[in-house]
Amino acid sequence: MVHRSDRTARGLVAASLLCGATALGAVSTPVAAEAAEDDDIFRVGVLQDIDNLNPFKGITAAAYEAWALMYDGLTGYTAEDFAPTPRIAESWEQSEDGLTWTYKIRQGVTFHDGEPLTADDVAYTFNRIMDGRLEKTNYGSYVAQIKTVKATDDSTVVMKLKNPTPLMERLAVPILPEHIWSEIDDEEIRQYANEPDSDPPGGVGSGPFILTDAREGQFYRFTSNEDYWAGAPNIGGVEYRLYRNADAMVQALKNGEIDFADDLDANIFAALEGTEDIEARSSVYYGFNYLTFNSGAALTDGTSIGTGHPSLQDPQVRLAIHHAVDKEALVDRTLDGRGTPGTTVIPPLYPEHAEPDDPVTYDPDEANRILDEAGYPLGSDGIRTMPDGSDPLVYQLYARSNSETSQTTIKFLQGWLEDIGIDSTAETVSESRLYEIAGEGTFDMYEWGWVVEPDPDYQLSTFTCGQFSYEDGGTVYAGLNDSFYCNEEYDDLYEQQSTETDRDARTEIVQQMQLMAYDANAYIVTEYYDYLQAYRSDRFTGFVPQPEPDGAILFQYGTYSYLNIEPVTEENSSGSAAGGVSASGSGSDSDSNTGPVIAGLAGAAVLGGVGLWLFARRRRSADSDVE
Amino acid sequence: MRRASTVTTPRKLSPYAIARTRRKKSLQRFAQAFFGQPAGVIGLVILSVFVLLAVSAPLLFDREMLDITKTLGNESLEPPNGDFWLGTDENGRSILAVLVWGARASLVVGLAASLISMVLGTLIGIGSGHYTGLAGSALQRLTDWFLVIPFIPLVVVLAAVLGQRGLGTIVLVLGVTSWPGTARLVRAQTLSVEGRPYLERAKVLGDSDWQQMTKHVLPNVMPLVIANTTLTVAIVILSETTLAFLGLGDPFLDSWGTMLDKATGAGAASTGAWWYLLPPGICVILVVLAFTLIGRTLEVVLNPRLGSE
Amino acid sequence: MAVAAAVRAADSDPEPQRPARGGQQGGLGRFIGYRLVAGLGTLVFVLLFNFFLFRMLPGDPAARYRAVKSISPADLAKIRDELTAPLPQQFVAYLKDPLALDGISSWKGQPVWDLVQGRAWPTLVLLGATTIVAVVIGVWIGIKAGWNRGSRFDKVSTAVTLLFYATPEFWLGLLLILLFSTGIGFFPGIFPSGGVIDSGIDPLSFEGITSIADHTVLPAVALAAVYLAEYSLIMRASMVDELGQDYLMTARAKGMMDHMVRRRHAVPNASLPTITLIFLNIGFIIGGAITVETVFSYPGLGLLTFEAVSEQDYVLMQALFLVFTMSVIVFNIIADIVIAVIDPRIRT
Repeated sequence: MVHRSDRTARGLVAASLLCGATALGAVSTPVAAEAAEDDDIFRVGVLQDIDNLNPFKGITAAAYEAWALMYDGLTGYTAEDFAPTPRIAESWEQSEDGLTWTYKIRQGVTFHDGEPLTADDVAYTFNRIMDGRLEKTNYGSYVAQIKTVKATDDSTVVMKLKNPTPLMERLAVPILPEHIWSEIDDEEIRQYANEPDSDPPGGVGSGPFILTDAREGQFYRFTSNEDYWAGAPNIGGVEYRLYRNADAMVQALKNGEIDFADDLDANIFAALEGTEDIEARSSVYYGFNYLTFNSGAALTDGTSIGTGHPSLQDPQVRLAIHHAVDKEALVDRTLDGRGTPGTTVIPPLYPEHAEPDDPVTYDPDEANRILDEAGYPLGSDGIRTMPDGSDPLVYQLYARSNSETSQTTIKFLQGWLEDIGIDSTAETVSESRLYEIAGEGTFDMYEWGWVVEPDPDYQLSTFTCGQFSYEDGGTVYAGLNDSFYCNEEYDDLYEQQSTETDRDARTEIVQQMQLMAYDANAYIVTEYYDYLQAYRSDRFTGFVPQPEPDGAILFQYGTYSYLNIEPVTEENSSGSAAGGVSASGSGSDSDSNTGPVIAGLAGAAVLGGVGLWLFARRRRSADSDVE
Repeated sequence: MRRASTVTTPRKLSPYAIARTRRKKSLQRFAQAFFGQPAGVIGLVILSVFVLLAVSAPLLFDREMLDITKTLGNESLEPPNGDFWLGTDENGRSILAVLVWGARASLVVGLAASLISMVLGTLIGIGSGHYTGLAGSALQRLTDWFLVIPFIPLVVVLAAVLGQRGLGTIVLVLGVTSWPGTARLVRAQTLSVEGRPYLERAKVLGDSDWQQMTKHVLPNVMPLVIANTTLTVAIVILSETTLAFLGLGDPFLDSWGTMLDKATGAGAASTGAWWYLLPPGICVILVVLAFTLIGRTLEVVLNPRLGSE
Repeated sequence: MAVAAAVRAADSDPEPQRPARGGQQGGLGRFIGYRLVAGLGTLVFVLLFNFFLFRMLPGDPAARYRAVKSISPADLAKIRDELTAPLPQQFVAYLKDPLALDGISSWKGQPVWDLVQGRAWPTLVLLGATTIVAVVIGVWIGIKAGWNRGSRFDKVSTAVTLLFYATPEFWLGLLLILLFSTGIGFFPGIFPSGGVIDSGIDPLSFEGITSIADHTVLPAVALAAVYLAEYSLIMRASMVDELGQDYLMTARAKGMMDHMVRRRHAVPNASLPTITLIFLNIGFIIGGAITVETVFSYPGLGLLTFEAVSEQDYVLMQALFLVFTMSVIVFNIIADIVIAVIDPRIRT
């Protein structure tokens, strides 16, 4: 424990966290209550729980956001356009053959517990992932091409590769403190919660915020890291509050219980626009929704599986259906206009996006013409059959039970299919069930969505033959390929781009691949949806969009907004009112007023401890509530 | 053990004509008593209105109006106006049209599930009352046990377990879970009927169990069963609403419950779209109220023990 | 609407559920003993029922665990072996751990009972608040309406309670949010619309208790409305019944003051069915909180059930279902015992 004289508050945090209940007996609760209303805590309402604070276990976007506060990656993404940017690695270089990468590790970075972050911690983190099993689930793709990782001295890490890969600039792997994680073995890690009261104490990273209190399903509190290497945040801390429905969250925003509401529905968003002191922001995003076809479900070994309708193996039928889908209507109805009709699987906000020259338009007549020409005759009941008169075109459709958009899209699809002589039955299932259905190939079409990373590799892999379903121990498991599109040429290009370290050359290949899949109608990308967020413009100002200028202002690849926002004061309030988000840019004078910060920290410390104490007492309090 | 089945006497005891007149008279008496109860009449009127609406739905609103691909020209979530008396939903459909068609779905679910419940409850109830041996007490135990299982969690879990989300599933789930109340009631009534002299006589005369139950017990428990089933319909409709709200209904079926689910999903509470939130809720309340009023009145009229009013 | 439904079904039968009469000679101890044995029988049934209910699942049960990252392939294989074993074998395994104490949530990857424990107290708070509100108001209305049968109060209150009775409680909850949380017109949003406590406050401190109360008002009102209706209807019916009794006529004829008759004789005697119902309902409300907790994001067992259902976490569902059912059984037994203590006629 490193104490500095002017950081007594910090010391208190640690002390109270470690000593738990004992330290707290002395602290009175009124202080805690006061601190809870502290003005410089940035309170974010979220609809999705942080499913796990352990960076190897969680999967939700909220969890990734929390890890971004707690940890630094080796490299990062710029706010402007997601280009690779230094984080813990100050700089890097590759050898001529691209097989040796040398990273210069930033000096003077300390973990939250005061221990310095060195090249050893970086090497440890990567080796742990490479040697681990659970550890690979979230970060396996980053290390797939890495042979060895060694710290040659305190500030240098050398990685040797099997094959060259552009991913080496994209190593957004959270760097963990070796002195803590080495105490957690392969088995323990599966149960390790990584919370302050875990054993060993969890949450220790080098990131801009320090985890102080985690209450599953309720809230997560972080206090600012005053010693952060890139400059201390201008706010006292961050708190995520979990809401089960958007209505409740928006209410909380209006009532000033939270400062930021993430991931809003279009309807709710529309109602927020024009509300005093609330800035509603619609940002371009990197997610898309799509309709997939079962164009021939099979295992990786070629064995046919599933119950897909034979007609969908015909590209012309898929093209016809593509023509029958009115994407404008979907954007209008499912997104309230907050999005754009989709084309290819890499969204337009990325530089790698390819836009087809001659996109498929909404044209039911054309669709009918194509089907007639391809020889699918209309039966007497108005339903088309296979060319030989067998197998009426009756499709089994699925929608996701947790998504209104999904259900509405499928409802629309039913109507549109009817227009071109295709009958259908639709069913709603949970995402986990749909994942099974996809893997088993027991569907004809369904609706789902992808969220696309800055690096296109993963997304492109979803159309490769190697990602078909596979069988293990009598059970069929889904791969990533849920359209069962398979094309040798595409696979070759995939291999090419995955070793091409020149950004421009790679982009060219990547664009070619997108268009191939688009022309084959592997998917119908229905819409690129906007990301809808809202915040109290009377509370904080200085949000940084990613990408600039239209991107999201929170839940980014990075912590730009968290580091730049500051409480609205007399001086900066006029500016924020006028400029909103875009005016803020990177402009933030980081001379933090330490008074409130320390008070906030003290409060947070107390709260953290109280939280711990309560956690221990929760059962007792539950019992006493009965009376 | 109490049957003397050796003698078979297929002797008719009384001409059916007598019975028929008697029934006609008692029906008249019943009608008089029922219409003497204002609450019951109110219930009947409300219900009649909804049944009428449900039946005439295709005449009032073309089915096309429910097809969201055909309503793209309409504003979404439009407040009530001259064209759309109750406004539009998130897909630009007339809420009034969906509401009227929804009456069909809700009533069909309510009646179908109650029918299942009635048949199960009556069979098990009469069985457990009639058979004195192991079978009877087993049926009684079963009823008691099922009564202990909290209804909504059971319905929710069952619907979740069955996975499939369709009209049939919902009817089945609600039907097979709501019978124990009926069964217990029928059992009590069966016991009291069994003690009556004419049943003793039937036994002595060698009627089979089946004959005893269908000829003597069933007609006597039927009025009570009907009263109880009427109340069950109310519960089933409420439960369908709950299931749909929890996302366990059939989202492709436009029932009132689904409407409420969609309204919540569309943020009606926070956007102030009261015209989307209120009508389905009020319809549910009115129909449930109607069935409750009718059921309670039937109970009072048919079961003098309760009829202190 | 939840659980009230079950009680609604039961309430058409004036006799509260009770086991077949046991010991003829009476004796409280013996009665309780009998009741406990009967309760045990029910428990066994429920355990069996629970087992078979969750064996009806479609698809590969082990597949549900694929998404859980904390499970190693070896563990997954073990789970699959367990779940695909022949039924009798599964049953033996189930009997060894019927409460799934070892169960891992396929949604969170944590032991299910950790999740259940963490969510129990808000539900208990809600349960307590709901019961108190519903009982106090419901019984008061019932007494007043029953005593003054035919009065305007009776007519209005009966109409209103019947209306509540027919209202889906989650819908009422949505309206309450619209009115008192969103705020409409003059109404400011005065109550929080979600959660159980403001973050970071000690639930046992003064602020904590106020905050919990603040968050509990709306859900408790929504939930209480239904039960309130039920209590007042039952109480009213019993009062009406009681008023027809000879002794009351006599008491009134003797010139006792009206309210004295009411307080001394009518109310105590008419209370029995309501008391039974209150205890029975406690078990049901716990499960009935599913929709209301969902509407208000109230992090209790009801919301957990909703989450388990949305995430198709069957292990968690199974545990919760058992908790709900067992609480009903327990309160059933308590109800019988309380009634037996109050009214010795029952046990003779």
